[in-house]
Amino acid sequence: MQLLSYSFMILWAMTFALYYLVPKKMQWYVLLVSSVLFYVIGLGGFPINLLLTGVTTYGCGIYLERQLAQEKEGLKQCGDRERKKAYKALCQRKRKRVQCLYILVNLGLLLFYKYAVVALPFAENVFGAQAGFLGKVVMPLGISFYTLTAIGYVVDVGRENCAVEKDFLKVLLFLAYFPSVTQGPFCRFGQMREQFLRVHAFRYDEMVRGIQRFVWGAFKKLVIADRLGIFVDRVYGVEAVSVPGSIFACATFFYMLQLYADFSGYIDMAAGVSESFDIHLPDNFKRPYFSRSVAEFWRRWHITLGAWFKDYVMFSFVMSGIGRKIGKACKNKWNGMGRQVAPIIGTMLVWIFTGMWHGRTLSYMLWGIYYGVIMSVSLLLEPWFVGWKEKFRIRDGKAWSFFCMARTWLIVFLADVLIRSESLTQAGAVYLSFFSRLHIKGLFSSELTSYGLGKYDFLLLFMVLVIWLAVSLLEERGEDVRTYLAKKPALVRWACYYGVVLLVLITGIYGGNYDTAMFMYQSF
Amino acid sequence: MEEKVLQILEEHCIEALDYDGDSMMEDGIIDSFTVINVVSDLEDEFDIEIDAKYVVAENFKNKEAIIALVQRLLDE
Repeated sequence: MQLLSYSFMILWAMTFALYYLVPKKMQWYVLLVSSVLFYVIGLGGFPINLLLTGVTTYGCGIYLERQLAQEKEGLKQCGDRERKKAYKALCQRKRKRVQCLYILVNLGLLLFYKYAVVALPFAENVFGAQAGFLGKVVMPLGISFYTLTAIGYVVDVGRENCAVEKDFLKVLLFLAYFPSVTQGPFCRFGQMREQFLRVHAFRYDEMVRGIQRFVWGAFKKLVIADRLGIFVDRVYGVEAVSVPGSIFACATFFYMLQLYADFSGYIDMAAGVSESFDIHLPDNFKRPYFSRSVAEFWRRWHITLGAWFKDYVMFSFVMSGIGRKIGKACKNKWNGMGRQVAPIIGTMLVWIFTGMWHGRTLSYMLWGIYYGVIMSVSLLLEPWFVGWKEKFRIRDGKAWSFFCMARTWLIVFLADVLIRSESLTQAGAVYLSFFSRLHIKGLFSSELTSYGLGKYDFLLLFMVLVIWLAVSLLEERGEDVRTYLAKKPALVRWACYYGVVLLVLITGIYGGNYDTAMFMYQSF
Repeated sequence: MEEKVLQILEEHCIEALDYDGDSMMEDGIIDSFTVINVVSDLEDEFDIEIDAKYVVAENFKNKEAIIALVQRLLDE
């Protein structure tokens, strides 16, 4: 079930009505029933995997909580500090064994569904036709999202950063909450539990704000992302040798915007639906293309995924036994640079996993390694960069900021060629085309309009991108655009509301029966 | 103790000393690499072990929170 479909609109409207009609203490049950309905309809079957993750997550949480309570009791019996330390270490090992088993089961499931198709040729070589079932494996809806969310909860309970939930149905609601189950954002249980269980009185302004955000998300998805997608798909769909480099450059630039409009559009719609229930999802984007470095870009893009990897992979590795050993052994080597060895290994792990999470091809793995190397090299060369900046008397200002932003765009641009190309061979040909046959004139000839978008599409794109830029600039200045508009005279305010709605209805890209294209991150 | 913590912060992230908000990690004042280096130096300086469970935004939201964390670990 897509967020932009009649069936979803009916589900949303029914949930909304019931949510504010039932006794306040029952509100979270309405969300749970709707979430299960959304999931079952979307999946078209019994949600066995979601239930398995739910049961193991619930069980592991309860086990960890009991073990922690036992540890506290046991520590009271220990006399001196040394005995306490040894007892603590023993309990920790016990808990870690169970946590590892839990993570293995759930990550194993995710890897199985994600990589079954990749493993098929190898499995067929070994097991013959018996391995054919791997080709029929379909990834369960939202498994990439709810698996990581669930693991985060269990690790937080083990770290005592989150209180355990003793009601299985509440754990299930947390994992399957329908606005965020298919594409995130990744929520933390600590942030969501209080919101799910709080009493929510109907507020007209909250409902309106939710609808406004939903429509703005639909605008980004239907008017911008899907229109850009027509050009990108056509260019990347033809033989690489026959397209000039300038057209590929234009398509890649469009792809950067398409991905951002599509994913942030979904997040806006999901957050809008959730806001109508007075439940606020965490921010997932903060205008990433205003970033002055790649590190900043990834702090502003898919924020909740970055935070997940930082908390549960990066810090877990660096502060693990092996991470500490590496850190201590290298700390004073190579003029002090050795202290960066453990963080660099952690960074590379994070980026390899990020690549694997996003896609199952070698291109995604290389994409992850590319970002890992760039982050690591930036870390190592930072003292030199600071020195050069002082040497050449470069001052912070608008020109320098723009240069840094352009540098970030270029790095992201080169990475996006890798993941948009159909194969590594095509990616190679695209890179080559930037040097061997750029043909800048192609951008100003009829060639540009021969890839699915006509002159009026380009004009419309220019106009809507300017609107999007204006909104982003306002947000960058710290304004909340909905509050900003609410203060404007009625004529201006309603012109803006109607303008966006009409743009969505008239210029949105719809398929047959007004179906919309799938969201890009749904396939990750 | 406070002085030593501030010295370590000054060495790795001078902006943290002037920061008066309450989300230093989210505001991009201190990144994850800097956090790791600060943690490593705090561990060496005070002979404490800062487990991954303590490396959360709440404990690194500003310099006062870092001082409070070290104090808590010293008291344990």
